[in-house]
Amino acid sequence: MDSNKPEIMDKCLLLSELSEDSALTATAAAKYPGQHCSFRAVAGTVPLIKNSCALLLGPAICLYNAKLSMNMRSLTADPRPNNLLFVNYSQDDIIFGFHDKVREAILQAEEEHHPEVLFLITSCLQEIVGEDFDSCIDRIRPLVKAKLLIVHTENFTCEGAAPGVENMFKSLFLLMAPQPKEEKTINILGLWTSTARKTELANILRKNGIVIRNVIPSYCSPSELEKAPGVQLNLVLDQYALPLAKMMKERFGTEYIYCRKPYRPASIEKWYQEIAAALNIDLPSEIAELKRETEEMIIQARRNLSGKSCAVSGISGRTFDLAMLLSWLGVEPRVILLQTPLPEDRPDINELVASGVDPLIFRGDNSLQNEQLLRKLSPDMFLGAFDRKALSKMQIVPVVLSASYYKLGFESTIEVLRLLQEMSAGLEAMMYKEKILAEGV
Amino acid sequence: MDLKHEDYPVPSDYFGVLWALSGINDLIILEHGSTGTCNFNAFNYMIMNRQSPKGKLFSSGMDEDDVVMGRDTKIKEAVAELDNEYRPKVIALVATGVTSVIGLDLQGIIEEIQPDTAARLISFSGGGFAGDYHVGIKEVFRSLTNNIIKEPRERKPCSVNIIGPTIDSFNANSDLAEIKRMLGLIGAEVNTVFTFSTDIDRIENLACASLNLVTRDIGIQAAEIMKERYGIPYYYGLPFGVKGSINWLNDIAAIMGLELKRSVLRSELQRYGFSILELVNFLQDLDHLKAAVSCPCEYALGLTTLLQDEWGIEPSLVSLPIWPEMPQIQSEFSRRKIGRMLVEPEGKMLSEAIRDINPHILFGNSYDLLMAENIPVKVHAAFPAFDHIYRYDGTPFVGFRGHAYLTETLINLLNQNPEVFRN
Repeated sequence: MDSNKPEIMDKCLLLSELSEDSALTATAAAKYPGQHCSFRAVAGTVPLIKNSCALLLGPAICLYNAKLSMNMRSLTADPRPNNLLFVNYSQDDIIFGFHDKVREAILQAEEEHHPEVLFLITSCLQEIVGEDFDSCIDRIRPLVKAKLLIVHTENFTCEGAAPGVENMFKSLFLLMAPQPKEEKTINILGLWTSTARKTELANILRKNGIVIRNVIPSYCSPSELEKAPGVQLNLVLDQYALPLAKMMKERFGTEYIYCRKPYRPASIEKWYQEIAAALNIDLPSEIAELKRETEEMIIQARRNLSGKSCAVSGISGRTFDLAMLLSWLGVEPRVILLQTPLPEDRPDINELVASGVDPLIFRGDNSLQNEQLLRKLSPDMFLGAFDRKALSKMQIVPVVLSASYYKLGFESTIEVLRLLQEMSAGLEAMMYKEKILAEGV
Repeated sequence: MDLKHEDYPVPSDYFGVLWALSGINDLIILEHGSTGTCNFNAFNYMIMNRQSPKGKLFSSGMDEDDVVMGRDTKIKEAVAELDNEYRPKVIALVATGVTSVIGLDLQGIIEEIQPDTAARLISFSGGGFAGDYHVGIKEVFRSLTNNIIKEPRERKPCSVNIIGPTIDSFNANSDLAEIKRMLGLIGAEVNTVFTFSTDIDRIENLACASLNLVTRDIGIQAAEIMKERYGIPYYYGLPFGVKGSINWLNDIAAIMGLELKRSVLRSELQRYGFSILELVNFLQDLDHLKAAVSCPCEYALGLTTLLQDEWGIEPSLVSLPIWPEMPQIQSEFSRRKIGRMLVEPEGKMLSEAIRDINPHILFGNSYDLLMAENIPVKVHAAFPAFDHIYRYDGTPFVGFRGHAYLTETLINLLNQNPEVFRN
C-alpha cells in the first residue's frame, strides 16, 4: 500500500489498467449489501409474462423479501402483475424432501389460477439439498395443462444475478416452436418495461414497416412466444437475453444482432445503422434530424455542466459510451462503480482511454466502501441509484437516471441531459438540511 | 396448502433476529450466507418506515466452496474486519437458511476466534427454520437477557424499562414518545427501550430499573427472567383510550409508589380527552357502524376496547396473527363478545370473513387493507405496512394523545366517506 494515499484508493484501478479478463477485487470481507441474487431478479421479471403464474420455492427468507420487493414496485410507475405464488420450505421439507409439497403446490396453482405457464423458481436451498428437482417436475408435467418452466436461481454458486436471469430467458425457449419466417418483423429481447412499444426505436421501426412481434420478457403471452422464432430478426439489447437469442438462432435459424443501448449521438446513429442493415431497410432520414437536435442539446447542456465531475454506477446499456458523452459535456467521470466488466465494453473502454479520459474503476457492491471513496473523490454528481441521503450529506447531487432506462435511441440521451440539469423534486431541501447537519453545532 | 398470493409469506425467525438486534447501537450483525440474502434485506427494512440496515447488517458472502467444503474462512475474515474497522461492542453471527442446512457450527467458530476479537461474539443459529419472526425476537431477548445484563450496582427508584418494541413494531416512534410522556406525568423516566432504541451499555444496565413495562407479549419471557434474577416486577399492557390510559397510569404509579395527581389528569383530559360525540353532529349516527380489527394482540385488544367502550362501535371481527401468550388477553377477548374471532387465519379465511361481515371500518396491515377494497374506512394499524410511513412521532395510538389522535382520525375518515352514515 502506498502510505501517501488512503487505503480505499488502493482498491481502485485506473480504467487503462483494467485488463480484458480482470475481475474487480472485493472491497471488503464483510459485505453490505453485496450483489443481488437472481432469485430476486427472476421473481421481479416473470410477472411480465402474460397468462403465467410463478411458484417461488424457498425458505421464508427469500419469499418474504420477494413479496415485499413486488409490493414496493406496485407503488411505482412500473408495477408488475401479481402472479407470484409462494411455497415455503420448512425444516421437515429439507429432511423428508420437497417433492410432495411441490407437486401439491403445482396442482393447487393449476386448479386455482389456471395459468398457461407455471414458472417454478428454485432458490439456494433446493440446490443445496440436492434432490433431482427436474426429474420430479417431469413426472408432474403430464398431470397439468400448464406448461411448467423451471428456473434455477441458486446464488451461492455465483456472486451476481446473471446466471439465473439467463436461465429465466432460456426457460422461455421451451415455449417456442418452429415457424415460417416473416420478413419485416422483429422481437426485442432484453427490455423490461410496459412502455417498450412506445420507445423511439419502436416508433421508428413501425414507421418503416417493421412489426414488433414480441418484447421479451415484457408482456408477451405464451402463444406469442411460441411464434417468436418466426421473425426476421431478434434485436438483443442486453447480455442476459443473449443466450436465448443464440438458442433461437441454433434451433430455429432466427437471426439476431446484439446491440446494447448507446448514448452518444454518433453511437446511436451507428446503432440505428446496424439495425437497419440487419433488417435490409434504408436508414430513415429522421435519424439525421434527431441526431442534429440531440447534438444541439448537448451544446446547450455543456454550458450548464462543463467543469463538473461525477461518479457513475449501474447504468443501463453501454456505460463507457455514457462516460464518453459525459466527457463531451465537460463533466469529468472520476470513478465508475462496476460489478463485472463485460468483454463487449472493450471497444468503448479503448476509445475512452484513447481520448485521454481514464477514470477510476471500483467494485461497487459495498455501500460503505463506496461512500468512503466518494468522500475522498468528492464528485459534484452521482449518476445511478445510490442512497440519496448519504450523497446529500457529502453534498454530492444524486442523479437518478432510471427514467432514461425505458427510452431507446436519441430520446434516452435527451432524457439523460434533462436529468443531469434538473434537480429532482425535494432534493434541494434535503441537501440544504444535510448541509446544516454536517456543519455540526 | 396455504399458497400465498394476495397475502404475504410470514417472516421467519431469521427476520425476528435481525430486527430485534437492529435497534442496538453498538452491535453489528454478520450473517453467514450468500450476499443475495443480505441485499434482499434492503426491502424488508425499507417497508418499516424506510429504514436501512446499512452499517448494521453485513454478509460473509458465502460461496460454493463454503457450502460444499463447510469452509469458515470468509466469516472469520469478516469478523476480523468488522472488529477492526467499526469497533462494535458486540458482533452477532446470524445463520441464514444455507448455514442452517449445511450445519455450520457458529458457536464453535466463536469459541475459536473470540480470544482474538475485541467485540463480544454471540450467535443465532435458527436460520429461518425455528418458527416465525416472533420466535427470533424472543430468542434475541432471551440471549441478551441471559448474557449481557449485569448485576445492578444501584436501583433507580423512578426508572422503568420498556420491553418489547423492536424496529418492526408498528408506530413505535409515536407510541414510545407518548408512553415516555405519560410516565413523566407520574414522575417516572425510561431507562431504556429494549431493543427498539438502545445500546449495549443500557442493556447491561437494564437491571437498574425498578419496573419493566412489557408492551408486547414476546417480551414476557425476558421480563420473567429479570423478575426472577433481579427482583424487578413487570407490568404488561398498552394504554388505549381515556379509561385505559388512566388505569394504566394508576397501575404503574401504584407499583412504583408514585401518584397520578388529579390536576395532571384534569389537564390531560381537557387537552386530549374529547369524546367522539364532541366531534360529530346530531345527524351523524355511529350506532350501526361495524369494525374489523386485524392486529397483534396488544393493539387488537386496545382498539377493541376503544371501539366498544369509548366509541360505541361494534367490533364485528377481530383477527390475531398469532395466539396471545398471556391467558389474561385470551380471557379478555372472550369476555368482550367479539362478533367473530380468528387466530392465525390463512389469508383466504381472513379475506372471506371480511367480505362476509362487510365492516365500515378496518384496522389492519397493508395486505389486510388491500384485500378489503370496498371497505370505506381503512386505518393502517399493524405490521407489515409497506405503503404507509409512520416515522413522525406525533401520531400515537396509545395514551391520552393516542386517544385524541385516533378519535379525530376516525371522524375525519368517516366524514370523507359520508355514505357510512347512511347504511
